Order: sequence, then C-alpha cells, then structure tokens
Amino acid sequence: MMTKKTIALLATALAFSAPLLAESGKDVYSKVCVTCHGSGLAGAPRYGNAADWTPRLAGGMAGLYQSALKGTPKGMPAKGGHLTLADADVKAAVDYMVGAVKDAAKLAKAEPEAKKEEPKKPEPKKEEPKKLEVKPTVAPAPVAAVPSMPVAEAASSGAAAAAAGSADANSFNRLLKPASKRNLPPPEDGIHDPTNDGTHALQPPLAAFGALPKSFAGNRINWVEAIGQKKINPRYDRNDPKAEPIVMDLNIVREVKGSMPDVVYPHKQHTEWLDCSNCHPAIFVPQKGANQISMAAILMGEKCGVCHGKVAFPVSECRNCHSKKKDMAKVASPADAGK
Amino acid sequence: MKFLKSGLLRAGLLLLLLVVCFLDTSDVSAEYGDVVINRQAEKNGMRPVIFPHWFHRIRFRCKVCHAELGFKMRAGSNTITMTDIIEGRFCGACHNNDIAWSPENCDLCHSGKPGLPTGVFGGHETSGPGRW
Repeated sequence: MMTKKTIALLATALAFSAPLLAESGKDVYSKVCVTCHGSGLAGAPRYGNAADWTPRLAGGMAGLYQSALKGTPKGMPAKGGHLTLADADVKAAVDYMVGAVKDAAKLAKAEPEAKKEEPKKPEPKKEEPKKLEVKPTVAPAPVAAVPSMPVAEAASSGAAAAAAGSADANSFNRLLKPASKRNLPPPEDGIHDPTNDGTHALQPPLAAFGALPKSFAGNRINWVEAIGQKKINPRYDRNDPKAEPIVMDLNIVREVKGSMPDVVYPHKQHTEWLDCSNCHPAIFVPQKGANQISMAAILMGEKCGVCHGKVAFPVSECRNCHSKKKDMAKVASPADAGK
Repeated sequence: MKFLKSGLLRAGLLLLLLVVCFLDTSDVSAEYGDVVINRQAEKNGMRPVIFPHWFHRIRFRCKVCHAELGFKMRAGSNTITMTDIIEGRFCGACHNNDIAWSPENCDLCHSGKPGLPTGVFGGHETSGPGRW
C-alpha cells in the first residue's frame, strides 16, 4: 500500500511539480506561457514564429520585459496571470521565447539590438542546440504533461471504473462518508492540487453552508429548502438579479410496481431551478405515458439520474421521490376473499 | 525497435494507469457535484479545471448555465477552450471581470491535481455500470 503510494506520488511529482522547482526560462514557458504563446491564443505572439515576434522585438528587450511583467492592454496579463512568479523567472521566459525566434528566423535585425541592451543574452543562446532538436514538433509543449495526457485520457474511463469497483470493495458502504470526510476545504478534498496557490484562495464549502438548511446526502444541504426559506436567492438571469423564475406548479404522480410508494414528481421545485428545455424533450418526452423510467436507468445516469446522483440529491434518499402511499385496499381484497 | 517502443509504451501506460487508479481511489472526498474538466487543460500544460457546482448554485440557478450558456448536462460533452472563454462564451459569459472575476486568474480554476480524468466527482453514484 505504502509503496504504491510513494510510487504514485513520485510519478506525479516527476510528471508535474518538477518544473515548479527549477525555474529556468524553458520551465516557466512550459508551465505558464505555453497556454497562450504555444497556440497564439488571444493574439499572443506564437513561440518560434518570427512574424509574430519581429514587430515586438523592435522595441527592444526592455519593452518586452515590461510587457511581460506588467501586462498589456492587448490581453497579456501581468506575469501571465501568475503573480507569484519572480521577476527574474518571467524575464528568463521572455529570453527563452525570444531565443527561439532568433533560432528560427535568424533575425539579423533584432539580434544586435537585443545584444546591446541585454547582457543576459548568452543564456538563451546556450539552449540553442537543445531547441533545434525540439523544433520539428513546432509547439514545444510542456515536457511532462504531454506524454502523460493521451494515456491518462485513454485509461481514464476504463481505469476509473475498474478502480472504483476494486480498491474500495472492502470499505463499508461508500455512501456513508464519515463526518471527517464531508465538505472538506479544497486543499484537502483529494482533487484540488494543494501545491497550487489558487487552491488556497478558494472558499471552503462549509464557509458558505453555515446557515443553509441541512440534508443527509449530497452536499448535505437541502437546496430546495434553501430557496424556499429564502436563505439563498440564486439569479435566474445571468445579468438581471431581479429576474423571477417562471414556476410551474404541477405534480405528476407515477405509479410504481412493487411495494414502494408511488413517485410524486413536483414541477414546482424543479422549475425553481431549471428551464423547461433542460429536461424537455431530450430527457423526458412531455407526454403522459411516453417515458419509461426505471431505477436501473436512473442509476446509469439517465432520466432523473442526469442530475440526481450528481448534483441533485442522490437515489439514497428514496422517500424524497417515493412519497405517495399506495392505496392498499386492492391488494388486501383477494387475500380476504381467499379466507 | 518496434518491440522496444511498444514495451516502453506499455510500461508507461501501466505506470500511468497506476497513477490514475491511485488518484481515483485515494481519499477523494471531493464536494458533491465537483466537475473535473480536463479535455484541453493538461494537454496544454495547465492543471485540470475544477468546477464546483455548489459554489455556483448558491449564486445562479441551474438554468442560467445549462439553458442560456449552452453547457450540456453531461460531463465531457462540452468542448471549452480558453479562446471561447476569452471571447465570452461558456465560463466567459460571466467570468469577464464584470459579473465574476476575469480569466486571468488562471490558478483559481486550473487548480486540479494533474492526471485527473474528466468527470463528475464528489460521490456521484449514478454514472454507469459498476458504480453502485
């Protein structure tokens, strides 16, 4: 167990955090800048593309450093949005990108210019041979992330399903999380990366859930009640905080085979949150008797299971839906007759 | 050469599978309804995005994103790129420094552990065979 853990930790460390420690220009580039400068997103000058860089180099390296550090009105965020980066690291990344252009185009014009201004210049030059090898791939993507991605993607569906079933087999009822595992703050929840600065800036769920009515599943918040009691008033329109929802008050009773109480489906609570088009006609055909719904389908994530079990309360809360007592007279009468 | 390649590939795949398995089954106590979005992010050298439903539903009804903004209600069915966001589609419809903070705060969204597969996390119980 322990060894598996260490292996996995090592692997993830190798795959990801290594660039975080050693901040060379290339590392910073592949960690931060590549997002936009790799593909030219939002008009960013592309890595290794001389045409993109030439006009910008005209202003000299000092101008480029300034743009990288402080941001530009064209869309370059200050330090690429990573304000925790040291100034020297940002400059190193600029050097790295400029170096690549020089390699590619042999810009006779820009080179002497930059040399005059920057004594730092030799650094990117040393990297030249390395870079030439990388060149053919055009977008020199993040060293670590690229090999891992396609495999992770391919493996994810199968592996996730298999792993979820096997490794947890002996843990008792995974629906019942102990209190210590509920509503954890982002750095401890197992999916957020605690080494990421932003993770620590995120609001922990419990800080928001304090006054909201409780339930026994999901977020352990009764969201319908939260609106009913006016504890929260989520916007119905993106821009207009005063927009009122179009609520339809119509209950649909679905008779259920077997001994479970019949299902009462309330349009009211659903239309408080949703638009008709969210469910009709793709998930539920708006016609009586046209929808075959089974618990199996719901558990597979279809019909009610599109939301219930993912964001709305899960199927463990049977009686929230199966809430109408059956008329037992019919069942009783044949037995009586038999006597 | 071919053999070596496939062997290496297989070893790499196995290791990654291990990592993925580990990540998937380790103490994932994600909040109910957290969605990991990782179709583009890690390919482009960023951490996976984590979308917390709980945080957004306190502020907006489901309908705003799932009807107005065109987010399909199936994890992995929306191709969201940074270009979309910067041009005001998907997340960018609100994350525009007007309704909510702007997309330059990369690490607030791109905050997931590397290697996480796209999907709904946080104890969803109804996503297909074997989950129940």
